[in-house]
Amino acid sequence: MLEVEGLCKTFPLPRGRRSKGARPPGAHDPREQGQQFHAVRAVSFRAEAGRILGLLGPNGAGKTTLMRMMSTAIKPTAGTARFDGVDILQNPLGVRRTIGFLSGATGLYGRLTAREMIAYYGELHGLARAVVRARVQELARALAMEDYLDRRNDALSAGMKQKVSIARTLIHDPQVLIFDEPTTGLDVAAAQTVLELIARFKREGKTVIFSTHHMHEVERLCDDVVIIHQGELCFTGTIEDMRARTGARHLDQAFLALVNAGRGEGEVRA
Amino acid sequence: MNETTPTKDARGGALATVGTIYRKEMREVLRDRRTLVFMIVFPLLLIPLLLSLVTELVSSAVEKAEAETVRYALYDGERLPGLAEALTQDPGFEAVEGVAREDIKAAIRDERLTMALTVREPFDAGAGPQTTVDLFYNGASKISKVERKTETVLKRQSERLRVARLEALGLDSPDKQSAVLEPVKLETHNTADMREVLGEQAGGMLPYMFIIFCYLGALYPAIDLAAGEKERGTLETLLLAPIPRVLLVLGKFLVVFTAGVVSALLSIAGLGLWLVYQGQEVGGALGEIIKSVTALDLTLIGLMLVPMAAMFSALLLSISIYAKSFKEAQSYSAPLNMLVIMPAVLAMLPGIELDWTWALVPITNISLAIKELIKGTMDYTMLVAILGSSVVIAAACLVFCTWWFNREDVLFRG
Repeated sequence: MLEVEGLCKTFPLPRGRRSKGARPPGAHDPREQGQQFHAVRAVSFRAEAGRILGLLGPNGAGKTTLMRMMSTAIKPTAGTARFDGVDILQNPLGVRRTIGFLSGATGLYGRLTAREMIAYYGELHGLARAVVRARVQELARALAMEDYLDRRNDALSAGMKQKVSIARTLIHDPQVLIFDEPTTGLDVAAAQTVLELIARFKREGKTVIFSTHHMHEVERLCDDVVIIHQGELCFTGTIEDMRARTGARHLDQAFLALVNAGRGEGEVRA
Repeated sequence: MNETTPTKDARGGALATVGTIYRKEMREVLRDRRTLVFMIVFPLLLIPLLLSLVTELVSSAVEKAEAETVRYALYDGERLPGLAEALTQDPGFEAVEGVAREDIKAAIRDERLTMALTVREPFDAGAGPQTTVDLFYNGASKISKVERKTETVLKRQSERLRVARLEALGLDSPDKQSAVLEPVKLETHNTADMREVLGEQAGGMLPYMFIIFCYLGALYPAIDLAAGEKERGTLETLLLAPIPRVLLVLGKFLVVFTAGVVSALLSIAGLGLWLVYQGQEVGGALGEIIKSVTALDLTLIGLMLVPMAAMFSALLLSISIYAKSFKEAQSYSAPLNMLVIMPAVLAMLPGIELDWTWALVPITNISLAIKELIKGTMDYTMLVAILGSSVVIAAACLVFCTWWFNREDVLFRG
């Protein structure tokens, strides 16, 4: 289970974007205040085990920053998050042992084989070599990637590469999985494989946080939805709540309605 | 919890983690052709190839100059008895007729003549005034032997005439003649041995080459291991591995350091191999140095390059992790190239000697120390001080690199 409590992240603005005086409301991004950029502002939500939570928001909303904080890549300015009770500030290494993180932009080591790459991450997670060997075989079978396990990564197709990335994410059998646009750049078949895997993790009782721009993926997979806009939470609830709240039949219409509402009204709770 | 400091209990695990990172990174480095060329092929082959090429070219040019027949024209040769005969009898000279005196320069430029001699005033068989002979030749080539060959003939001629004159004055023995010609004689006793003299003249170039190879050996792995990770999109997932970041930096640093050290040592090995197989055949100044450099000298030179490799590795890794791409890292490392080359070049300049002031200047101190080792005049107290200070600087660079690697604005720039 994941509990996010009031996460905030502030970055210094580049010199050229720092405002020198007060500007009229609406004349600039409200996240830019003086010399600071408030990328994520007091975001709180929960993700339950055995459920998939869709993390949605327009480009630049703050989703990646939020996921980076949750995965301990960067430190929050304020607030915290806990994975099965393990706090990201007090025990970041413990959190990293609990989670698996996959992004659509994740690359591979081209000069390593798929097996070497997956095993490397297994060893970094402190697994014994024999365990790593067995686990690599198990994942290769599960993901149908045995044929190219010993091929160098730079010789693999986009779909094959994404499977290697998934295997790398799963090598330590994490209980919480964070997927940041995992189907970006994949063809239909490869994307289908990824989505089926995500559904399987839910059946296995894992907690899944899934960020995407594709509403059909949300509709198909997600139980709960969190929408972020301009660094702020503007909706938490189920898919049914999204429809009920907005009265929209299609999910993309509901999403747009909530984002637009969020612009003026702040968080909308179902 | 502080991520940069592994706990005491975890030290065994920490070593294993650094080992895991080291093995993986080294495997990737060894599978990269570009890195292998800069790390192994260039250092091992370039110094022997360059030295062989230079010595071969110089030797053949000198041999050619020695064997070349000097085509000459002699004007007013009758004014100095015996000169024309001496030139005719020497097989290295060939008389050319028909060149007018006013065409001498044009004839030398057109290579119809190698040189021309004019005798200004007639020789007086008595104790008359000195006779001047003018030599016209093209002295642009440093290996030209025209002046030396002509001087040899003229000196022989001059000596014969001087003896005749002195004998006419009653000085019939060589001792008496010397006492008149040189009443006070200065005998010089240079305490510097040949190695020291020649090491001073030629010893600056080798440390420069060792330092450059050490730097180039570390450059590509450093760029690949940090900026390359960002460009490939592998850095973020690596940062999410449950390991303290200091271990990640150490693993990567050790790979870059290994590449720099291997590169530097291979350049020394390249020199050593050349000394063994070809160097002994080299004569002259370079040959003298070569014969006096020992295995211990080469070992100490190698030792001096170790802290330098550590310093380069930490700095290059810091630059590389700041860059967003391979190309950007190459641009950012350009100023460092100058910061490496300039102090290394200083050791080649005349008048710059290793003293306690220069011993404090990083890179230059190591360059000068290597020069002293080649000259065989190293002050070993200073060597220890240079080694110690270089280790401290390298450690400071590594601490900076680790701190730099922990900054979010560096890791996630832009």
